[in-house]
Amino acid sequence: MALIEARALTKVYRLGRVDVAALRGVDVDVERGDYVAIMGPSGSGKSTLMHILGCLDTPTAGAYRLDGEEIGGLRGRALARVRNRKVGFVFQTFNLMPRMTVEENVALPLQYRGGLRRRARLARARALLERFGLGERIGHRPDELSGGERQRVAVARALIGEPAILLVDEPTGNLDSEAGAQVLQAFREVHAAGNTIVLVTHDPDVGAEAARTIRIADGRVAA
Amino acid sequence: MSFLEALLVGLAEARRHFAQTLLSLLGLILGTGSIVAVLALFGGQSKITQDYVAEVGGFGTVIARDRELSQRPTAMELASDRLTYGDARYLKQRATTLGAVAPGFFAQLDYRVGGVSFQGPIIGTTPDYAVINDIRPMVGRYLSALDVERQARVMVLGWKYADSLFGQAEAALGGLVTLAGRNFTVVGVLEREEFYFAPWSGNELEYRNRRAYIPITTAFSQYTGEDEHLSFLTLKAAHPTGARAAQQQVTAMLLLRHGVQDFDITPSGAGANDDAQFFKLFDFIFLVVGVVSLIAGGVVIANILLASVVERVREFGTRMALGASSFQIFAQVIAQVVVIAVIGGVLGLALGWGLTGTVAHFMNMPAAVTPTIALVAIGTSLSVGFAAGIYPAFRAARLSPVEALRYA
Repeated sequence: MALIEARALTKVYRLGRVDVAALRGVDVDVERGDYVAIMGPSGSGKSTLMHILGCLDTPTAGAYRLDGEEIGGLRGRALARVRNRKVGFVFQTFNLMPRMTVEENVALPLQYRGGLRRRARLARARALLERFGLGERIGHRPDELSGGERQRVAVARALIGEPAILLVDEPTGNLDSEAGAQVLQAFREVHAAGNTIVLVTHDPDVGAEAARTIRIADGRVAA
Repeated sequence: MSFLEALLVGLAEARRHFAQTLLSLLGLILGTGSIVAVLALFGGQSKITQDYVAEVGGFGTVIARDRELSQRPTAMELASDRLTYGDARYLKQRATTLGAVAPGFFAQLDYRVGGVSFQGPIIGTTPDYAVINDIRPMVGRYLSALDVERQARVMVLGWKYADSLFGQAEAALGGLVTLAGRNFTVVGVLEREEFYFAPWSGNELEYRNRRAYIPITTAFSQYTGEDEHLSFLTLKAAHPTGARAAQQQVTAMLLLRHGVQDFDITPSGAGANDDAQFFKLFDFIFLVVGVVSLIAGGVVIANILLASVVERVREFGTRMALGASSFQIFAQVIAQVVVIAVIGGVLGLALGWGLTGTVAHFMNMPAAVTPTIALVAIGTSLSVGFAAGIYPAFRAARLSPVEALRYA
């Protein structure tokens, strides 16, 4: 059974009196350990697809199974739980908490999960940061880090909860080429360690990193 | 995330923006402070009023008075002896609702001891007077039943008169005082009585230090001949709450004896509250200031919190993406405002405490910030903060994750 099974995903936004279809029946399958790039021009619906795959949004119609769990009918708290346990997000703009230290940032998803004491959560965050070569930075705040370091902290935060899938949105969009290369190298290692990655980008060079590519255009999967 | 952790995060937020937090709290601090001061001072004043009522006879005391003759008095009215010592003895024997009956005869007489002389009031009464009026002899004793029975020529002096007549209050015991030409032996001197509503007002009870008490029977036999008409008749109900029942029974019994309603029976202590009206106005003003400050403080907090929520929309979006539920977002904002409100409550309590101390010191009034008041203050502050936090917290919790993440 595939990790992600999406069937005929449809998303219709209502803008004033006009219905706008962002997705018009998309099928996506992602196997465990896969590294997939979702590509397409802006306005193609790739961001909407990512939001639905990441359980940030719900489809208007269609079925979505993530890691064996039917997501379609879930709302609110249940959806938050799925995000917390099964999805790790990496954003273009890093989205780190500016007033928290690096280790606190990385430990944040565990805080929402509950069950672990603060000390244990921070210990896990530190161990993960060591693996990413950021051991020196655990007590720093995000604005004391370089862009590449920030994005790697964000990757560590996405992985701390051992999610089923890593969802990455234009990870190098706000980085210079050198820092971007570092981050892409980090993803390679994460993938090699057995993680499943879904990468959303419009940059062909970044898309080339993935094992395979799904192209989206006008709310449909392009051939 | 536990609420405790949310509280710690809130505390950290408040510490980072200390000046801003303090400013946003100004209304809350002032409001809480005023309310603390009101409660503390009000507690002190109601204690004063209670003390005063207790001093002048306490609750459950009933006063019988002659009613003024009507415009065209009836024959019955004219024939009545009015309130007499006989009425008092009758009530003492028969009125089951009464615990004490103190009849009184009042007169202005000449006091003289050696070369010192002046005119002043005397009260002829019975031992029950001491039951009702909290009489405390400093030396000697008060009037006894035997004194009344034997028409003894004994007197109990108020502190000031004893002091004036004998040079020193204690020295009066056993001395002789000539009262309008008749000699009395001093068997007791009373403690000095004093009571102040406020330092700028005089001793409310000074008049009690300037009088003497003699047996009522002696007073009538020595100074009125056969007339046993009373100047006053003070009654005390057997139970503190029995004033009303006593009032009814006494009215019925006296009506039967007099055949006409030529008397009035009224509860005592009713007038004592008038003096406290002045303070009530103060309390009211303080209270209004407090409530208005609290409302203003709540609005300011809600406003600042709302701004801070809007400022952090992306943060909330990110937190939601990481797995925070709407409730956790709500709790985070509420925790922040709870921390702020508790800080405000504590500072307000400190302000109120200082205010109370200052007012109590300069006005020499009893007032204390009790643990209950402190609790009420923190509770009030917390409630205001909570109320102010609900809307911003709701706004944050209701954000859609996708839109919050997209928010620039």
